[in-house]
Amino acid sequence: MTKTARKERFIWLDIMITLVALELMSCFYYGMRSAVLGGICIVVSLITEMICLRLMSRRFTADDLTCTSDALIIALIMPATMDYKIVAIACIFAVVAAKNVFGGRKNIIFSPAAAAYIFVLTSWEKMLLLYPEPHAKTGIFDEPEGLVNSVSYVYNTTGKMNHTDFELLMGNFSGPAGSVSILMLLIAAVMLILRKDISAGAFMGTIIGTAFLSYIVPASPTAKIGYNFVTNMVIFAAVYIISDRRIAPKRQYYAFFYGLFIAVFSYVIVITTGKENAIVIVSVLFTPVSLGIKNLEKKIDLARSEASEYATVNISTDAKYDDESEIVEKMEDISHE
Amino acid sequence: MNKKKSSIFSGMLGNNIVLSSLMVVSPVIICGDTLKNAAALVYAFSAITFLSVMISSFVPTKLSYTVKIIIYAIISSFVYIPVKLAAQEFFPGAVERIGIYFPLLAVNSLIIFRSEAELYKLPKDHMIVKLIFYILGFDAVMIATGFVRELFAYGTINGRIVDVNTPVIGLAQPFGGFIFLGLFCGLYRCIRSAVINKKEDIRSDADVSCK
Repeated sequence: MTKTARKERFIWLDIMITLVALELMSCFYYGMRSAVLGGICIVVSLITEMICLRLMSRRFTADDLTCTSDALIIALIMPATMDYKIVAIACIFAVVAAKNVFGGRKNIIFSPAAAAYIFVLTSWEKMLLLYPEPHAKTGIFDEPEGLVNSVSYVYNTTGKMNHTDFELLMGNFSGPAGSVSILMLLIAAVMLILRKDISAGAFMGTIIGTAFLSYIVPASPTAKIGYNFVTNMVIFAAVYIISDRRIAPKRQYYAFFYGLFIAVFSYVIVITTGKENAIVIVSVLFTPVSLGIKNLEKKIDLARSEASEYATVNISTDAKYDDESEIVEKMEDISHE
Repeated sequence: MNKKKSSIFSGMLGNNIVLSSLMVVSPVIICGDTLKNAAALVYAFSAITFLSVMISSFVPTKLSYTVKIIIYAIISSFVYIPVKLAAQEFFPGAVERIGIYFPLLAVNSLIIFRSEAELYKLPKDHMIVKLIFYILGFDAVMIATGFVRELFAYGTINGRIVDVNTPVIGLAQPFGGFIFLGLFCGLYRCIRSAVINKKEDIRSDADVSCK
């Protein structure tokens, strides 16, 4: 097994651990239906992935299990009461149209989960944006009742927050199943950044961009900066969608600006239109930016390797550089050129 | 001879103008969300294209390319007028629903480019057959797209409700049309390459030795 393949599997494993923790929190607030939803997503995604790989004449390997983390992300960005058929369709869409059509696991250009979210948003907006209250547990086969608008919707439209900071931190407010557990998300973010499983630059860019704009242009005079992180899935998207290493630029510097621009645009959309969870939509719209930056990175790498090769050849043929420091200087000069 | 024959009929399956050449895709993507729209577009495309190409085939070949293209566009614009009047009678409301894509059919790429590049180089009888199969190819894709998108997006077939309890509204929107047509093209190319490979296998396996 190659080092990169092993690394890819460890990243998947770490992400899965944090997602399962969020799923457990979701089960605590919304009951077993949330776990069933996650299970359906995983099973449907796995089967679809296997079929797609079979059609592409490829073998299913352990690396292809990354589809299960995307499946869990889909389950966690939807209401716990979402129709099972709809999440199944969303998972099929994510695996087929958002992933394998573009060449599969190694050619992912945007988060399959984010694309599936947008797909569901365009087709079943009312179902997607109505959530159960925390602790109002719906049975596995029961019809959901007493659904309400999310806290994000109330905050976007009125600028008011009717929950205490402790409630917000613990995720005791209505919203998508997994993206409301703020404390758990922060722990997951720290863990994943320290283990280099997500792009720290993109994460920091998103957080700093949101914080900066929240300070400059607050949603209302009484609004705290922190409210803009707990609403509209900002932290969840920052961790699992924007900072996804398969999508974000490799260099932290570029990744930072990638995250920053997404945060700025999504905040502007939220402030001007009140659109709920705009960050997920903007992250997909920023696909060309990410691809452009990645191409730029490739060109820089290529130019550097060519320059260093050129420098090595020049130095080896040049006898006048006896001192080692002179050789280093010469290499740097040529690299700059 | 067989090869020549198959190339004439290939406009329907082997060389479909929508699925293979990606020509005239915008009406399919934007307006092909119901069977009614599809039927109106099929009528308009078939009538405009067939009549325009047939009339344009009498334009002298000695004229320069630019002049010929302008003449083709003028002819198809004239053909468009009676076709639109008839559409308002046969498909009431369709012209308004389809909007700008209806008049745009008058300058579709089959009339403007493919006719000059390919059709007018053939003998008249072959040209007519090939043109008809190109048109049928477009019609088949349009009808199939309209049928599937209407069924899954609205849960109806030609306006009649059928038992689809989870309609996917997104499929009726342009982005749904893009995705559907993309998957349709992929499936078409997959089947086409499989058929071509099979034919090549049969040819290479054929025993040509004299016993």
